[in-house]
Amino acid sequence: MPAQPQAIKRAASLGLKHCALLVLTLAVLGPFVPDYELLGLNQHLLLALNVLALNFCLGLGGQASLAQGAFCGLGAYFSVLAHQAWPEASPLILACVALSAWGIGFGLSYPMEKLGEGFLAMATLGLSLIFTNLAVSLSSITGGPDGMLVTTPLSILGLNLRGDIAHYYVFLALLAGGLYLFLALRHSRLGRALLACKSDPMAAAACGIRRPAVRSLSFGLGAALSALAGAVYAPYGGFISPGEFDLELSLKTLLYLVIGGPGNPVRPILAVLGLESLLSHAHFLGDTRTLFHGLLLGAALLAPVAWKRLRKK
Amino acid sequence: MPGPNHTPAVLLLYFAQIINSGLALGSVYGLMAIGFALIYNSSRLINFAQGELLLLGGLGLFSLTQAMELNPFLALAAASIWGFLLGHFLYATTLGLAMSQSPLRQLMLTVAASLVWQGLAILVWGKKPLLLAQLLPMPEVRLGSLYFGRDTVTAMVLALASGAALSFFLRHTRRGRAIRAVSMNPLAARLQGINPKASHALAFALAGVLACMAGMAVGPQTMLRYDMGLGLGLKGFVAATIGGYSSLSRVFLGGLGLGLLEAALVLLVSAELKEALSFSLLIGLMLLMPMTSHEERA
Repeated sequence: MPAQPQAIKRAASLGLKHCALLVLTLAVLGPFVPDYELLGLNQHLLLALNVLALNFCLGLGGQASLAQGAFCGLGAYFSVLAHQAWPEASPLILACVALSAWGIGFGLSYPMEKLGEGFLAMATLGLSLIFTNLAVSLSSITGGPDGMLVTTPLSILGLNLRGDIAHYYVFLALLAGGLYLFLALRHSRLGRALLACKSDPMAAAACGIRRPAVRSLSFGLGAALSALAGAVYAPYGGFISPGEFDLELSLKTLLYLVIGGPGNPVRPILAVLGLESLLSHAHFLGDTRTLFHGLLLGAALLAPVAWKRLRKK
Repeated sequence: MPGPNHTPAVLLLYFAQIINSGLALGSVYGLMAIGFALIYNSSRLINFAQGELLLLGGLGLFSLTQAMELNPFLALAAASIWGFLLGHFLYATTLGLAMSQSPLRQLMLTVAASLVWQGLAILVWGKKPLLLAQLLPMPEVRLGSLYFGRDTVTAMVLALASGAALSFFLRHTRRGRAIRAVSMNPLAARLQGINPKASHALAFALAGVLACMAGMAVGPQTMLRYDMGLGLGLKGFVAATIGGYSSLSRVFLGGLGLGLLEAALVLLVSAELKEALSFSLLIGLMLLMPMTSHEERA
């Protein structure tokens, strides 16, 4: 059947075009964004990277994770502590951060796959709370709840990474790399196996797909991308604390992925950039922010159900 | 932490302390675990908002105590009705709306409910911890070297009485047997004329009553705070996982075991690392447990 590969190729090329357009637009807009806005934009990009990371787990493999914040924090703390000992070894440290996070994600997801998505979600919630508890308790290493100062910048190809705009482009490069990897994976044989596991796990297993191995691979990739984002973010603010990487970050990540649609590479990122920019100015929300996030998540989840019912009528 | 020079009397004191505080919190975990297992067995849904049921249950009782004086019977009746309504409302806004959706989407709806309820708790009761008065005062009990404080005795009595009442309801009433039938085989239950939706709703409502009782027990111990639901809900999940979900008594014992283990960790290792060690136990248990997946069980 020649039509099917053609359709796949067309979808892949369309996805690539959309992603390239998004990244190029952001790259061109960068120098025109005022300095005080760049700080906020960089924080939105950190969230967008986490959303993309969760897309590897949920969008491709159909596995919900509530530990993206913990992976991000793990990457940040690991990188900062390693840079204190080896300030010039940034590439090696970043590689180790990605590899370790991938290992943890893979190791957690592999045996848990057989238990179903709900149990993995609870395990990742546990991981998130363990991370926060350790980061708060081991104050001699992490600085405790007050956090720690980060004085060593990332050093890539002999250049020290400093300033808003430099970090903006590093975040953007990471986003571009992540999007490319996501698309390449989605349209590969492995990606199709992942989508099969997501839509019907039993049928996928019956077709000979090794579900735990395939899903753990994408779960690990999501963990690695979050950890890398954290490692790049840590020296940017000059300060890290457990509160920045707690469960709220993971829940926000899930919220934006659900709003944008798991599996779609561009829409969740646009949702982050658009809605976060709007919400960052909405100071009137105050204490209602948690309630607002919950209602937004509920609405995003129920909208397709309501739409189906309306169409039936 | 007991060292090598400690006398047997001091070690006995440590032991008594572990038993007392372990049983006080363990009873709360046990009640939460039974609620978790009830919903999971009836609908195969992991209820992320279980902790928020406890939170709003406790906070609702707190407001009631501010408005009027509650005697123990009135307090128990109020907790039961309030919990029942909360559980029903949770069902109506989560599983009831997404019965035909994938389990993952249903789980995420309970995440959304958890956020909404926590947001409501912040708006209505604020972020400061609130002390719930002891609504069911019990006398202290001494058994030889063992000492059980008022909070411990109250929590144990509440937990055991709730567990016994639930067990009676599930075994000896028509609606209770319907819940059990839906848990065992939803299709066969439907063929026998049982409405699974009504059973799911009732399971949620009963879990709400149990969570309210847990709130009544934990409120005087640790106070009520807007962000306590998530941690306590997860502890209930750990306890249900230890108990294996299949039997009420085992699930409750899982809660007691977790409470005792935590109390031992606080006293012998570190109070600060208590949470990390408990949740590591959860992950370790789930990595090792010989359970089949939801799809394969269905």
